Amino acid sequence: MKISLNWLKDYISFGISPQELAHRLTMAGLEVEKISLSDQDTVFELEITPNRPDCLNILGIARETGAILNKKWDHPKVKKLSFPREKCDIQILDKKGCSCYIGTVIKNVTITQAQEKIRKYLEAIGTRSINNVVDITNFCLMEMGQPLHAFDYDKLVGGKIIVRRALKGEKIVTIDDVERTLDEDILVIADEKRPVAIAGIMGGKGTEVTDKTKNILLESAYFDPILIRRSCRKLGLMSDSSYRFERGVDLKTVEEGADRAISLILESAKGTIVFRNKLSLSKQKINPSISLSLETINCYLGSELTAVQCKQILERLDFKVVLSSKSILRITPPHFRRDILREVDVIEEIARVYGYDKIKETIPQIKMSAAAVDSKREWRNVLSETLRAQGLNQVITYTMVNRKSLQKSGQEDLEGIKIQNPLTQDQELMRPSLLPSLLNITVSNLNHGQKDLKFFELGKIYTPAGEQETLGIIMTGSSNVDWRVPKRGIDFYDLKGAVEKSLEKLGVGEFTVAAIEKSFLEGGQSVCFQKDGRILGVLGKVHEEVLSRWDIKQDIFFAQLDLETIYLHAKKPARYNPPVEYPIITRDVSLAVKEEITFVQVEELARQLGQGLLSFVKFKEQYLGEKIPAGHRGLIFSLVYQSPQRTLRDEEVNSIHEVICKAFIEKLGAIKR
Amino acid sequence: MSWNFEQIANTLEQEAAQIADEKQLEELRVKYLGKKGLIAEMYASLPALSAEDKPLVGKNANALRQKVTQLIEEKKNTFKEKLKQEKKTQMDVSLPGVGQAIGHKHLLIQTIDEICSLFEKMGFSVEDGPEIETEFNNFTALNIPIDHPSRDAFDTFYLDTPDPQNKGRYLLLRSHTSPGQIRIMKKYKPPLAVVIPGKVYRPDAVDASHSFMFHQIEGLLVDSCVQFSDLRGLLNTFCKRLFGENIKMRLRPHFFPFTEPSAEVDISCYICGGKGCSVCGRKGWLEIMGCGIVNPKVFEAVGYPKGKYTGLAFGLGVERIAMLKYGINDIRIFFENDVRFLEQF
Repeated sequence: MKISLNWLKDYISFGISPQELAHRLTMAGLEVEKISLSDQDTVFELEITPNRPDCLNILGIARETGAILNKKWDHPKVKKLSFPREKCDIQILDKKGCSCYIGTVIKNVTITQAQEKIRKYLEAIGTRSINNVVDITNFCLMEMGQPLHAFDYDKLVGGKIIVRRALKGEKIVTIDDVERTLDEDILVIADEKRPVAIAGIMGGKGTEVTDKTKNILLESAYFDPILIRRSCRKLGLMSDSSYRFERGVDLKTVEEGADRAISLILESAKGTIVFRNKLSLSKQKINPSISLSLETINCYLGSELTAVQCKQILERLDFKVVLSSKSILRITPPHFRRDILREVDVIEEIARVYGYDKIKETIPQIKMSAAAVDSKREWRNVLSETLRAQGLNQVITYTMVNRKSLQKSGQEDLEGIKIQNPLTQDQELMRPSLLPSLLNITVSNLNHGQKDLKFFELGKIYTPAGEQETLGIIMTGSSNVDWRVPKRGIDFYDLKGAVEKSLEKLGVGEFTVAAIEKSFLEGGQSVCFQKDGRILGVLGKVHEEVLSRWDIKQDIFFAQLDLETIYLHAKKPARYNPPVEYPIITRDVSLAVKEEITFVQVEELARQLGQGLLSFVKFKEQYLGEKIPAGHRGLIFSLVYQSPQRTLRDEEVNSIHEVICKAFIEKLGAIKR
Repeated sequence: MSWNFEQIANTLEQEAAQIADEKQLEELRVKYLGKKGLIAEMYASLPALSAEDKPLVGKNANALRQKVTQLIEEKKNTFKEKLKQEKKTQMDVSLPGVGQAIGHKHLLIQTIDEICSLFEKMGFSVEDGPEIETEFNNFTALNIPIDHPSRDAFDTFYLDTPDPQNKGRYLLLRSHTSPGQIRIMKKYKPPLAVVIPGKVYRPDAVDASHSFMFHQIEGLLVDSCVQFSDLRGLLNTFCKRLFGENIKMRLRPHFFPFTEPSAEVDISCYICGGKGCSVCGRKGWLEIMGCGIVNPKVFEAVGYPKGKYTGLAFGLGVERIAMLKYGINDIRIFFENDVRFLEQF
C-alpha cells in the first residue's frame, strides 16, 4: 500500500526524517519497502500483513505512527449531518454476503474536478483523478479504509438497489470496459433489471458517475470477506475495494465512511440529501476483554517491562486498559482490532511497539530431544560419499515432469501423481521415475559441450503408493582422467561397479543380478538387482529409441535403485574379521565357454567343488577372437585357494583344482585352453 | 731399463682426458691394468733386472698402477654423475599429475548439511518429513484457515489424490516445511529440539529469484519455558556462526499465523556492511528467515495440554542463503546442474 507523507501530516506531525520514520515503522511491523519522491511529497510503499486490515488506510498508519513515536494524532473533523426520513429502495437478498448496506441519494450534484489537495494526494499514490464524486470515494477509501461506490441514481432501473447472488451466465461490463460473465458464487448489486456492480469488487460501466450525472446514490457496505475473496479468485479481478473487503473492513466505519464522504460531496458538488436507507443486519461484535499479568508478559518475552509501560503502549494503540494492584492488566482491544483475541496477541503488540531489539538476548537451555536419530539420513550420507568417491557428481532435479517427457523416455506406462493446478505443462505430474529428469539435465550438459558425465541424485519418485526415496545414476562419455593410458568409453560395467560398490558400502550383503526386459533399456544390457525376492533396482544401457527421441548421440547408462527397500537391508559391519595369515595358492584358468554360459555359473560351480578351500575367484579377462571357436568366448580367471586354519600343501590344491577344471569341461561344456 | 716413466705418466693423462665413454675407459684399463697390460709387463720384467733398477721400476710401476686405478675410478664417477643428470632431464616434471576424479556434493545439500550441523551442535536433531501432505498439517493445524488472505503467501499445488482423512479434500505438496513441526509434535512429547530440511513447492512462475520447487529448513524448540529472548539469542548465534562474527542481526516484527510474536530475521548486508548496495536493495539489510514464538493454537492442534509448553520456531530458505553466501544470482542455476557449476563447490 502506498501512502503520501503530506497526507499523513494532515493528521499527525512528526519531527523526524522520512527515512527515520520508515525505519521506525518497519521495526514495528509495518515494513516500508520503498521510499520515493514525487512532486515535493514523499511516498512510502508499505507491506501490510494480512492480520492488520486496520492499517490499510492513512488513519491506521497515523495511529501506528502516534503509538510508535508516542505522539498525539487528530481524527478528521466530520460535520454532523442531518438525514431526511425518506428511504430509497434497498433489498438485501443474501444476508450472509452483505450484513450492512447504507445507501444515500444526493440530488442535483455538480460534477467537476475534485479540489486540488485531494487530486494531489490521490495522484501521489497512483490513483487517477476522475471527478469530484469518484475522487472523494477514493479519498475516503484511502483515508478511513471504507470502500465506497457512487452510482448514477437516474440509471438505476426502478431506482432500486438489490443485493443478491448473480444468476448463472449473467453479464456485466465493469468500469474498466471489460465484459464479465458471472455465476451464483458471485455477489452483485443489481437494480430491477440487471447487475450494476460486482459487490465489493468493481462497479458497472452502465451506472458510473459521469460529467452528465445529476443525482447519485452513494453505497457504503460490509461484504463477507470469504465471499469476496472467492469471487476475486474466480473472476481474476482485484481492486483496492476488494483488497480491503477480503481482509475485513470495520463494521463501525461503514457509517463513518459514508458520512465523511457525504459531507465532502456536499462541500464540493453541492446537492441535497433526499433519501437515506441504512440496513444493518448484524451488530458490531464486541471484542472480548483479556486479562494478562505482567509476569506472563515478561515470562513470555524474557523482558523486564513494567505494568505502566505495558499499559501506556496499549493505550497509544487505542486499547482500554485497567491496571489492578497486583499487576494484572485488564485489556479491551478497540473495535477495529479483530485480530486481538488472546493473551499472546496482546503480548505481541507490546513487544513490537516496545521494540524487539530492546528485548535482551538469552541462550536457550536445549535439552536432549525425544526425537530419534534418523537412520535414513546416515545411509544417505554413506551413499553420497561412496558415489562421490567414484567421481559422480550429485545433482538435484525438478521432481515434476510432463507426460511427454515420460513418453520420450519410454516410460509412458508409469503413473506418477497428477497435479491439479500446474502453472505449466512441465508441472503436470510428480515423476514416477528419475529417468526423464536426469535425461533432461544430461541433454543440457551435452548441449554445453560437457560430454563426459557421471551424475547421481538422491531424490524421490512419486507413485500412487506415495513418495519413495530413490537413487538415480547416469553415466556417459569417457571415463579416463589418466593421460598415460588411452581414453576408454564408459560402459555397462562402470555403472554396475558403482552400484555394486554402493550396495557393498551399505552392507546389503548378498544379492543377485538377473537380466530383465525394460522398454527404456537395451535388451541384453539391462539387469535388475534382487534380494530376498525383492527388487532393489534396475540398471542398463538406455534404449536407442529413447536416446533418439531426446536427440542424444552417445551411449547413456542409467540405474535407479529403490532406497526404501535397500535401507531395510542396510547394515553396519558387525564384527572385526581378522585377515587369514596362511599363504594363498593361486591357479590361473583359461577356458572357452559357450556364449550363454555366464561367469556366475562358472564361479558357482568352482565354489561348490572347492571343499571350503577355494577362497575366492578373481576374474581377469574376457576375450574373443580367431582362436576361440564360434559361439564361444574366452574367460581368464584365477582360483585362489586358502585355508583359515593351516598352510595348504600343493598336492591337495592340485587335486581340488583338477576336479574343478574337469567339472568345467564336463558340466559346462567348456574347452580348456 | 726401457721405460720412460715420466712420459708414460704424461701419455696416460692425455689419454684419460680424451676418454668419452665406458668402452674407451675399458680399453684404457686393459692397456695398463690388463693381464697383458703395461704394468703387468713391468712386473714381469722385474726378475731380470739389476739390483739397482729393480726397486726403481717396482716403485714406479706401483705408482703408475695407483694412478691408473684412481683415474679410472674418477672417470667412472664422472660417467655415473653424467648419466644421473641425463636421466633427470629426460622426465618433464611439469606434466599434470594423475588423480582420481572426485564427485561433488550439490551446493544446496552442502548448505543444508552446514546449517543442520550448526544446529546439531547446539543440541537439535535432524528430522525428515514427507513432501506430500494433508491440508490439516500444512494449513489448519498451523492456524491458517481456508479462504483466509494469510493463505496468499502459501499458494499451493494440489494433487489428484483424495485425502483419506478428510472427505472431499485433496492431498497437496507442502508449501513450507512447517507441517514437519506438526508431525514431530504429534509423534513426540517435549522437550523437543529439531530441524527439518526438505523440498517445498509453490506455484510461482519461474524467474531468477522464484522457483516452483525449493528447499527450506524448519526449526522447532519446545519446552516448558522458551522465551522470545531465547529466540533472539539462538538466532543471533546461528547467524554469526553461518555468516561470520561481524554480522549484525535484527528481528523485524512480521505476521505468521503459526507464531506470535512473529518476526523476520534480517542480517546486515555482508557485501556492503550495511551501507546499502544492489544486493540488499539499498536497505543495508538482508532478509534471511522467518521466526517466532509458537502460537498456542498450534499446540492445541497437536493435542498438547493448554498452557504447559512454550516454544520457538523458525524457517529459512536454503536457496536464498546459498545465493547470498556464494553470490549466485539466479535460482535456476541450482536445478540446471551444469557440471561447470557443480564442480566449483
